[in-house]
Amino acid sequence: MQPLRIALAQIAPRLGDLEVNLARHHELLAEARDAGAGLVVFPELGLTGYLLSDLASEVAMRLDDPRLAQLAAATRGLSAVVSFVEESADHRLFIAAVLLEDGELRYVHRKIHLPTYGMFDERRFFAPGDMIRAAPSRLGVGVGLAVCEDFWHLSTPQLLALDGAQILVNVSSSPGRDLAMSNEVGLGTATSWRTLMRAYAQLTTSFVVFCNRVGVDESLSFWGGSEVIGPTGALVFGAPMFEEGLFTVDVDLADVRRERITLPLLRDERPELVAREWRRLIAERAGLAADGSAEPGAAAGFDVAVDR
Amino acid sequence: MSDGRTISGATGGAADGDVGATGAAGSGATGGAADGEPLFDLPGELAIDTDVARQAIAAFIRGQLKQAGFERAVLGLSGGIDSALVAYLVAEAIGAEGLLCVMMPYRTSSPASRGDAEAVIADLGCAAELVEITGMVDGYFGRDGVAGEGGPAALEAAPLRRGNFMARMRMAVLYDRSVSWRGLVVGTGNKTESLIGYTTLFGDAACAFNPIGDLYKSQVRQLAAAIGVPEAIIRKAPSADLWPGQTDETEAGFSYPELDRLLFWRIDKRRSTEELVAKGFTPELVERVDRMIAGSEFKRQVPPIAKLGPRTAGVDYLYPRRRPGSAARS
Repeated sequence: MQPLRIALAQIAPRLGDLEVNLARHHELLAEARDAGAGLVVFPELGLTGYLLSDLASEVAMRLDDPRLAQLAAATRGLSAVVSFVEESADHRLFIAAVLLEDGELRYVHRKIHLPTYGMFDERRFFAPGDMIRAAPSRLGVGVGLAVCEDFWHLSTPQLLALDGAQILVNVSSSPGRDLAMSNEVGLGTATSWRTLMRAYAQLTTSFVVFCNRVGVDESLSFWGGSEVIGPTGALVFGAPMFEEGLFTVDVDLADVRRERITLPLLRDERPELVAREWRRLIAERAGLAADGSAEPGAAAGFDVAVDR
Repeated sequence: MSDGRTISGATGGAADGDVGATGAAGSGATGGAADGEPLFDLPGELAIDTDVARQAIAAFIRGQLKQAGFERAVLGLSGGIDSALVAYLVAEAIGAEGLLCVMMPYRTSSPASRGDAEAVIADLGCAAELVEITGMVDGYFGRDGVAGEGGPAALEAAPLRRGNFMARMRMAVLYDRSVSWRGLVVGTGNKTESLIGYTTLFGDAACAFNPIGDLYKSQVRQLAAAIGVPEAIIRKAPSADLWPGQTDETEAGFSYPELDRLLFWRIDKRRSTEELVAKGFTPELVERVDRMIAGSEFKRQVPPIAKLGPRTAGVDYLYPRRRPGSAARS
């Protein structure tokens, strides 16, 4: 098998400036093509910038937007993941990551987990997606798309891998924070992400491709540090933190087969058991079934007993 | 830090601010390392990776200027550690040629601070200006028994009132120089003084952006040492320089390393009073600092606008400060 050359477009999008960011995407797609890349990955909201607030509706594109078609047209002989604000026909706004291949829009992932706590306020401006699917790809393996916070939920990588993804792509706008010296590489955010991604790659025996933006929106400085991790959980490539650039790395997709033969974790997953237990938990939370772990005397749907 | 440290003082104002919220100098706590041997006392939990901090801050400064359509920056250089550190950080981010440092002493400001500020300017090779604020301040409060524009009563104004006025005069100078220099005003206040309210509203707290506002004083010292701020500036006791011999720590009644640790565990790590006492802080200190934080909440926020119309700035009209069309045109 020919090695796959992955290009990580670790860019600093201009906040709210769709035209400038579109031009930058075209430029880097051409550059990646010249460099022999087969898969080019841009960060979350790379076409719009992250901290949009009320600008979100003003930079939103429908999936039939001609500007998106032009971007897709630039992917002949290539696979690319790009991200923007998507407006549905019923006028909901989503944070979308799409797979563009051979001139076409092949798959749309709408961010399913919208952080709305601490420094984040996404749910105020966006609707959450309702689907997690692996996308078939010209690369010959399934590709799983996820956006930033989607990867802070265990089910996301697991579902993508079980659905056939062998390359898990996470596009992010992760703001750097927690500079404590006690953190690996001096940045709490980077430490957490590295821990998660290595675990996911190992547990799903898949490649994990992480593309995080750089640059600044308001108070937030995005830390970059994009990575490719192999199916053994080992780092294949790490881009520098805070530096803009197009970084390429070659991977051997046959590593997935080797690892899955050696370590058949996915084969041994128990989706029917997991689904059964989830259904039980959902019923208990809704008060439709007795909750075995609730305090004695608690009303259905509540885990605490009220003493009167 | 020990109370017996040599006092040289800073010119305050744009850099170190003045006293906006002080209580009676309750006893509070004892200082940290006392022998004066180390350059600064750094509580372990506050230690930052200074390389990463410099990268992040340089990116922040460049990003702020770029989005606003500016290539230059201006700041008030007092001779104290905060403004000195910011000068080094700006020079590292955009080059010293883009930086204007303005020294704005009042007639009673410490001459030693002026010397420290000049050492920074010489080391960086940046542009510098001296703007005395004495005429502006005395013109309002009066001098030698002769009333100024503020009327006869202003002759008796307390040091705190004068200090706040000085800080606002420095702000006025910086925003004027911002136009002539074509640069944004960079804030130089740290997280410690912001949290306890040791700042002047619309005075030293006024700025276009602040690269060190999320760093505690101890972290400012750590970063200052890493980036090469002159040792004399790092060693001297922080002061708002409102009167000869004033220092932040004697006035507040606790040392910065101790206060920083308390704020870190209280604010960043969400510890309860009981948990803080278990860590060795006295209940009196915790309560006093809590009051200072709550009492200065208004200084850290933009003023509320009465909600009357359909869309109100800051309430339900929410745009980023910088967006397409907002950059200054050259």
